[in-house]
Amino acid sequence: MTHALRIAQLEKTFGSQRVLDGVSFDVPKGSIMGLLGPNGAGKSTLIRSIMGIVEPDAGTIELSGQPWSRERVRSIGYLPEERGLYRDMKVGEQAVYFARLKGMDRTDAIGALKSWFERLEVEGWWDKKVSDISKGMAQKIQFICTVVHGPELLILDEPLSGFDPINARRIVDEVRALAASGTTILLSTHDMPSVERLCDSVVLLNRGQVVLSGGADDLRESGWSGEQEVVFRGNDIAFTNALGTLAHLDGIEADAVAGTRKAAIRLRDSEQPGQVLQALGSAVDILEFVKVRPTMESLFIQAVERAGTPTPTAS
Amino acid sequence: MKGGLIGAVIAREWRTRVFKRSFLLGTLLMPLVSVGFIALTVVLSRSSDTRNLVLVEDMPGLITRLDAESGQFVPRCPGCFPERENHAYHFVREAPADSVWQADGYTALVEFDESVLQNKAGYVVYKSSPGMQAKRWMERDLSRAMEHAKVLSSTELNWEAYQRLKFDLNLVDREVSEEGRRTRGGGEEVRGFVGFIFSALLFLVLAVYGGLIMRSVVEEKSNRVVEVLIAAVRPEELLLGKVIGMGAVALTQIVAWCVLSTAGFSAFQFVFDSGMLSGSGVPGPGEVPADLLTVMAENEATSILLDIDWPLMAISTILYFVGGYLLYGSLYAAIGSSVQSEQEGQGMVFPLTMPLLFAYVFGIQAMENPDMVAFDWLSWFPLTSPVIMLIRVAVGVPLWELGLSIALLLLTARGVLWIAGRAYRHGVLAGDAQTGWKLIWQWMRGHGG
Repeated sequence: MTHALRIAQLEKTFGSQRVLDGVSFDVPKGSIMGLLGPNGAGKSTLIRSIMGIVEPDAGTIELSGQPWSRERVRSIGYLPEERGLYRDMKVGEQAVYFARLKGMDRTDAIGALKSWFERLEVEGWWDKKVSDISKGMAQKIQFICTVVHGPELLILDEPLSGFDPINARRIVDEVRALAASGTTILLSTHDMPSVERLCDSVVLLNRGQVVLSGGADDLRESGWSGEQEVVFRGNDIAFTNALGTLAHLDGIEADAVAGTRKAAIRLRDSEQPGQVLQALGSAVDILEFVKVRPTMESLFIQAVERAGTPTPTAS
Repeated sequence: MKGGLIGAVIAREWRTRVFKRSFLLGTLLMPLVSVGFIALTVVLSRSSDTRNLVLVEDMPGLITRLDAESGQFVPRCPGCFPERENHAYHFVREAPADSVWQADGYTALVEFDESVLQNKAGYVVYKSSPGMQAKRWMERDLSRAMEHAKVLSSTELNWEAYQRLKFDLNLVDREVSEEGRRTRGGGEEVRGFVGFIFSALLFLVLAVYGGLIMRSVVEEKSNRVVEVLIAAVRPEELLLGKVIGMGAVALTQIVAWCVLSTAGFSAFQFVFDSGMLSGSGVPGPGEVPADLLTVMAENEATSILLDIDWPLMAISTILYFVGGYLLYGSLYAAIGSSVQSEQEGQGMVFPLTMPLLFAYVFGIQAMENPDMVAFDWLSWFPLTSPVIMLIRVAVGVPLWELGLSIALLLLTARGVLWIAGRAYRHGVLAGDAQTGWKLIWQWMRGHGG
């Protein structure tokens, strides 16, 4: 399988602080990968290394199967977390400038930008100064500047910060559309719901090391420890008796409007869901029996807590 | 591609500044002020806005005679009193009381007696001063009339022969150069002054535009544009684009100043020479044609402008601007990359301006004494040469020295640009509050995060 991005044994040390410690992972072409990690985990240094802003001490970076080069980096769409615009410049003029820095000629840049401005409904702001537009509007302009040159690889660092829920959804839709059209996306964020909604795979960094990686569904599946949600009609005591020792009961809630009960249970390691369902079905009227997989947030917290070792330092 | 990217950075720097109202205002104001200064000096010296009617009281009858036909006193030497548009004479033997001649419309009364031929002194009486130019005309015209009278009183001379024999020697300066060639010489102080004006302007431009570069770098750090830029362009390329872009703005302003000043001066010259300004029109008999250049040459304040090798000055100014600007601009940018605010940067800029300031102050001394040995050395030293050498160029400098100085400056500028690029690369992404020359020095050596 061809990879849009391949990181192998990347290392970077600032002073005595080892910020990247043998980081390795692949981003398959056309996929969306979430780059997660607590503050100070090394995400920004990793992204800056990919973008050639920081020079790694060791390791390799490949782009589309080719060794890293500045020319290839220029084709990457990069939306940094720390981002801004020139306040005194007009919006359109500024967007053309950034597109030109990405190698587009002026005419192509204007054509592509006009199309994106219409798509995100900001075409009326072309001739306005940045100082006259809202923060949310500026965020949209920055997103457009990142994608206007049609990059094969897109690196988005906290792309939804500063957006209201409606515009955040808009951007999520655009990111999905870009992925559907074949763009590979590396998404660095602390917003776990957006990771669940968007990412095919994730890589979790902690203190400069990869502590968790894999397909988003696979990780949630492998992190499942028997949680089930059972919606039923019937008697709580009958339900509890039927459950017996097959599973642990975490609690039961009543839904007064629907006239139903909702129980949270955790299966014993050896039990199969079918056996539990059969036992409960004989005691109460089962409406739903749903597997509750862990959220990305809980996986994140667990992995970080597990990896809570002292900060590695350069030898 | 690389050139295209740097070109885009240069174009942005240029466009965003040149089309600003403040830039246009500054660009228009400077030539307006300089041409206005010349025009005002010339026009005021001509006192052309007031008509002088001078009553000359020739009590001893030295320079006038009674014209039987008109019954008026007329000069014995009519050619000594040329016709001028705003300056005329009327002659009497005995002047009326002051209040009377003033009431008759005279602006001044000149009176002298027999002793004038010995002590060469008379009086000019007025209510309001007729002006320097009018006074010079009166002195010149009456002196010639007196000379005429003295010649006529001599049995050995006649006026025509005296005029033919009269001889004014004009010594034109020529200096022997190191190569043994004769070059224009003399007037060192005057030309040194003009060179100093240029060096002071260059000092100002280097300091102002260096400050602008620093502000621009700080702005990109604070508005967080820099990370996007550096992802597309190498820090060294971005720095180069920035320095060249801002330099192009400065050069645009300098060229605009030159073009507008020349155009303004030519327009003034046309108006002046065509006689549209009062007092500058058709010359009277015996009077030197009053074209602007002649008037300027006669005027002490403006004559210095005609005594300069302008093409060499222009080329040298541009070359020293380019070299000095690359040298100082890149250092200003390195400082900008190491600070979080403009105010913080101002504190760090001071040591950088010291060599410039020293050169400027030394330039004042050198203007009066261009033969100092230190003057030569400082005109080769790259940190001071942009300011000092322009004074030497105006005064006169061997071409090999000029070439050496420019080559040293450009080479140093290239080296400093490279070193400053390293500091810029580290500094521009450093988000912490740690600043200082020590840190910049570490970055220049390639250390630090």
